[in-house]
Amino acid sequence: MTEATLINPLDTLVDQFPSGWVKKDERPGYSGFIVEREHLLEFARTMRDDFGFDYLSMVTASDYLAEGKFDVVYYAYKTIGGPALIFKVQVPREDAVVPSLVALYPGADFQEREVWDLMGIRFEGHPDLRRILMWEGFEGHPLRKDWKEPFYEEDVKPYKSRWPEGKPVNADDRNPFNDNVQYPTGFDPERWVPEAETLLYSGLQRTTHNEEFKTDELIVNMGPQHPSTHGVFRMVVSLQGEKIVDLKPVMGYLHRNHEKIAERNTFLQNMPFTDRLDYTTSMSNNFAYALAVEKLMGLQVPERADYIRVLMAELTRIMNHFFATGFLLNDLGVYFTASLYAIEERELILDIFEEISGSRMMCNYFRFGGVVRDVSDEVLKKIHNLVYDRIPRKLDQFDAYLTNNEILRTRCEGVGVLTADQAIALSTAGPILRASGVPYDVRRADPYSIYDRLEFDVITGNHGDIYDRYLVRVAEIKESIKIVKQLLRDIPSGPILAGKPAYQVRVPAGESYGRVEGPKGEMGFYIVSNGKPNPERYHVRAPTFINLTSLAPMSRGEKVADVVVILGAIDIVLGEVDR
Amino acid sequence: MDAGMIWEWIIKSIFLILFMTGGFAYVTLLERRVLARMQVRIGPNRVGKFGLLQPIADAVKLIFKEELIPAGADKLMFIVAPVITVIPALIITGVIPWGTSINLFGREIALSIANVNVGVLYIMAVTSISVYGITLAGWSSNNKYAMFGGLRSTAQMISYELALGLSLVGPILLAGSMNVMDIVQAQKTLPFALLQPAGFIVYFMATLAEINRAPFDMPEAEQELTAGYHTEYSSMKFALFFMAEYIKMIAVAMIGSTMFLGGFQGPFVDQLPWLGPVYLFGKVIVWLFVDIWIRATLPRIRYDKLMALGWKVMYPIALLNVFITGILVVLTTKR
Repeated sequence: MTEATLINPLDTLVDQFPSGWVKKDERPGYSGFIVEREHLLEFARTMRDDFGFDYLSMVTASDYLAEGKFDVVYYAYKTIGGPALIFKVQVPREDAVVPSLVALYPGADFQEREVWDLMGIRFEGHPDLRRILMWEGFEGHPLRKDWKEPFYEEDVKPYKSRWPEGKPVNADDRNPFNDNVQYPTGFDPERWVPEAETLLYSGLQRTTHNEEFKTDELIVNMGPQHPSTHGVFRMVVSLQGEKIVDLKPVMGYLHRNHEKIAERNTFLQNMPFTDRLDYTTSMSNNFAYALAVEKLMGLQVPERADYIRVLMAELTRIMNHFFATGFLLNDLGVYFTASLYAIEERELILDIFEEISGSRMMCNYFRFGGVVRDVSDEVLKKIHNLVYDRIPRKLDQFDAYLTNNEILRTRCEGVGVLTADQAIALSTAGPILRASGVPYDVRRADPYSIYDRLEFDVITGNHGDIYDRYLVRVAEIKESIKIVKQLLRDIPSGPILAGKPAYQVRVPAGESYGRVEGPKGEMGFYIVSNGKPNPERYHVRAPTFINLTSLAPMSRGEKVADVVVILGAIDIVLGEVDR
Repeated sequence: MDAGMIWEWIIKSIFLILFMTGGFAYVTLLERRVLARMQVRIGPNRVGKFGLLQPIADAVKLIFKEELIPAGADKLMFIVAPVITVIPALIITGVIPWGTSINLFGREIALSIANVNVGVLYIMAVTSISVYGITLAGWSSNNKYAMFGGLRSTAQMISYELALGLSLVGPILLAGSMNVMDIVQAQKTLPFALLQPAGFIVYFMATLAEINRAPFDMPEAEQELTAGYHTEYSSMKFALFFMAEYIKMIAVAMIGSTMFLGGFQGPFVDQLPWLGPVYLFGKVIVWLFVDIWIRATLPRIRYDKLMALGWKVMYPIALLNVFITGILVVLTTKR
């Protein structure tokens, strides 16, 4: 193996393996490698250990009904930066079994469960292959192309039945009971006991019992209705006194099958739909989706639009980090004081969003090839005031009152520790990964938009505990302010959209993956187009969903009170976790 | 003992109970308004002028809410628990003097209900009862959160009661009496907070733990245990717990003001005995304000750290304080 292959292995990768193991994906519009199912584990191990692709960012699958096969898609990166290693496994639909990569990349855990749940691909060797988003009694796997939902009308929108003679009709009113509601055979809702609950409880780790001093473990369900889970989220916790023996997160209470709905929508209809994922950072979601589709379309974004995009993304980051640190304090029990002070500035940023996009939270501001409206000088002046005056002042206030607060430090330091190796293995992203000391930031590792011209530092922590996550977030606000100042200085005038605004965009066939460094971590969209107006496959790499994989390893051995704070420091939004 | 005296007692007792319950209602309002101001909000200001009728609206709402008793609960204990919690809180202040005495309708009326010679002991004894209510509430609800809350509060209250009791020994030694009236009279020139700074601070922190206020509000830690021991309580039974907490807050503020801040003592109180209650009231309000201020500011201390603080820091300090005070009292007393 020469040095050149080690640095850039992707060009000559096929030759590194015995013939037939690995092929280049030659389909038009596709990239990456197709790996034989039998050799997947060996391939992944070689790539991880010998070539340094230590960070498995995304696992998903797409269904090619016409060809009768599934593609299981993996995106792996090096944490030192560089392009993605895309590898796929093709399996026939009748025999959808793939070896699990959890042993190599523990971060694949939830994602493989999600693929099993929604696509019905079984991962051999997965330690805990249960449904994750759908409920346990659900029949079928909804993302398969031959799965039809109740009230199914057509494969893609706009549905013809809604516009019989140009007048809208709600199909649900016309026919409330369609015949395609499916239940498992012999299903009786009165007697049904969810099997997975016993599986869930029996899957919890136990400690060996002390004979001399008889104690018993207590299983507590924190959630789904619980004040500290930031939404409808459940943690099954087994306790030894106040100490956590094991924890299993249960999610999916807000699941609405975002991806299936999005595959019915047209490409542009999905833009406002991405706002609903992480409803506090709609601009970043828009950004990632726009990047993914633009890659397919080969669009060049005008200079001014790029500046506006980055400006909005950074304002979103400032806003989100204020929100996250404020509510972290809430989880520590400060009864809203810190969080209300923290979101004071958020309101001002939301005012800006309202002024430019018409909406405070569901911005729907990005378009393929630019943004929808121009930013007036007045708004730029407001942003100027914010970043030169109000936000730095608020940050100083935070620093003065919180950073060296005795109680905050004793409760956060050394709690929920994640080492750098663990953080990479568990595919965490964003502030959590960086607080563990891994300088991985998509803005630097794989620059998109105009980030390669901007001056900013990637903030890392040293200890990987909650306190470091807090420090990283506060420091990232400072870096974002730095970026916004540069943008305000350099923003050019010019068009804000490439081409004409269009309701229907033509997206050539192929696959693409657009990712941005969202405030909560790597936000990515995997899109497959077949040339029609609707995406064939639409997958969201939801950062907080994948970050939750690290919740159980972080919580084991800590106290009940700490779990709440650990969860708060991950900064989850259930609109995105459950999708 | 004539009939007039019995009437006097009855009227005074009823006045005290009404004062404490009314005080509870307005302390909740005070807390909400002050918290809101501290959190850049406005707070309840819609019901009546400055929101002054808000407590009444809340009471009406709570009375009309549905009473729920969980199916697996121990019914008797479930109903008795709030009562056990609220009664000690109401009777605790019976020994606190509000002033010397005033002349009303031609009668010399003492401004205290019971001038017991072991007043401090009475206070200590009665405070300890309410922990039973909380423990029983947690246990009888048949709920894991409630049980955790009950367990925590038992452990917490027992460990802080020691420091609390010891911190009150200082004033007793200085005044040479367990009678609360004597202790107040002994502070005529100098409040004991200045002679007993360590005892005063220990008392203040221990009472925060005793009444489950932030940052020691472990038993009802919202973020972890939803609402702790009163998770399953609703309607008036919930209101009783709420009431007990706030009345105890007033009560410990009153006791603290009496033992350490000179109680009803203040300028011109000898000439104008009416000023006594006013001074006491003022000191209590300041005390309550500090309690609320702390709630708005400090994060919650973790349970194990709290226990460590109680046993390893506050208890030794209180013991040492008693020891030093005792020696100094013996050395300085003229025989």
